[in-house]
Amino acid sequence: MNSTTLITIGAMAAVTYLTRVGGYLFLRNRELGARTKAVLEAAPGCVLIAVIAPEFASGNPADLIALGVTLLAATRLSLLPTVLIAVATAGLLRHAAHFTGGS
Amino acid sequence: MQTCDIAAPHTPAIATKTHTASEFQRGVVASIPVMVGFIPFALVLGTNAMQKGFATPEVPLMTGLNFGGGSEFAAVELWGSPPVILAIVAITFLVNSRHLIMGAALAPHLRHLPKWKALPALFLMCDESWAIGLADTQHRKSSGLFPAFSLPYYLGLSLCLYATWVIFTAAGAFLGPRLGDIRSYGFDMAFPAVFLVLLRGMWKGLRPALPWLVSLAVAITTYRLIPGAWYLPAGAAAGVAFACWNTKSPS
Repeated sequence: MNSTTLITIGAMAAVTYLTRVGGYLFLRNRELGARTKAVLEAAPGCVLIAVIAPEFASGNPADLIALGVTLLAATRLSLLPTVLIAVATAGLLRHAAHFTGGS
Repeated sequence: MQTCDIAAPHTPAIATKTHTASEFQRGVVASIPVMVGFIPFALVLGTNAMQKGFATPEVPLMTGLNFGGGSEFAAVELWGSPPVILAIVAITFLVNSRHLIMGAALAPHLRHLPKWKALPALFLMCDESWAIGLADTQHRKSSGLFPAFSLPYYLGLSLCLYATWVIFTAAGAFLGPRLGDIRSYGFDMAFPAVFLVLLRGMWKGLRPALPWLVSLAVAITTYRLIPGAWYLPAGAAAGVAFACWNTKSPS
């Protein structure tokens, strides 16, 4: 192992841990106003949907159809069946697209 | 293993112990669907890191100390010999800045915990453990349970995910290029699946979900226009800013 790698990994770890505890330390002992509460209520969904935004921006029809099927499954099924349907649909559609000469 | 119905008079200590164990176990079970998504990504990350010149033990060192998949993929992408420390640390902060919002959203539920328990627990906070933990907190709150945030449940969930991530990134580093392109099997769709189910759990109607749509729209636009990980903080910040502005105006 070389020292530059170790320093880089150490610095990454420190920065990441600061982001994990920063919001907690800042709000821990504060009284929350109505607006802060509204913001904190909306924040989780905003973060989650931003993480998966690139999936919605995909130009690949197989991926978009698989995402649509996943969305449909997510509205009526629990976590594990939704994950299995999502993986199976994406895998099958990509193979189908591959064999029919699509992208 | 203890079962709940052996002895009639439970001492409080034993009752608490049994309760903690069953809550931990409930967290372990909750982590299983997420593992389906974690394992293939961990293998790919380990493989990619080796191609960028990591030594095998450095891979679990990074994933075990940093424990943030998105930032690790970005770091490996930027990795050179020697690595440019400042650029890698900056992108790590950029990708992980969403943790600030996540920790803030969790803070009101952690008030019953002393700092020495909360701070190590937050080390294990990733998108999935945070979102599932928060969903469980809301569920327990509406069932009248106290504390709404169950620390053993969260630990069962997040420790399993942590172990999965570190072990399988190390496995990826060992197995290396013998693994094919896992994307073609569709495993990457596991993440949107997990997140969409979590979003459904948070759904309270169209109006409260408007900030999500703002976040999604801004994230997609940013993703199309600016290369790199900017879409993530840009989308999340725009959604949160919209929520802030939306409450100020009378409804």
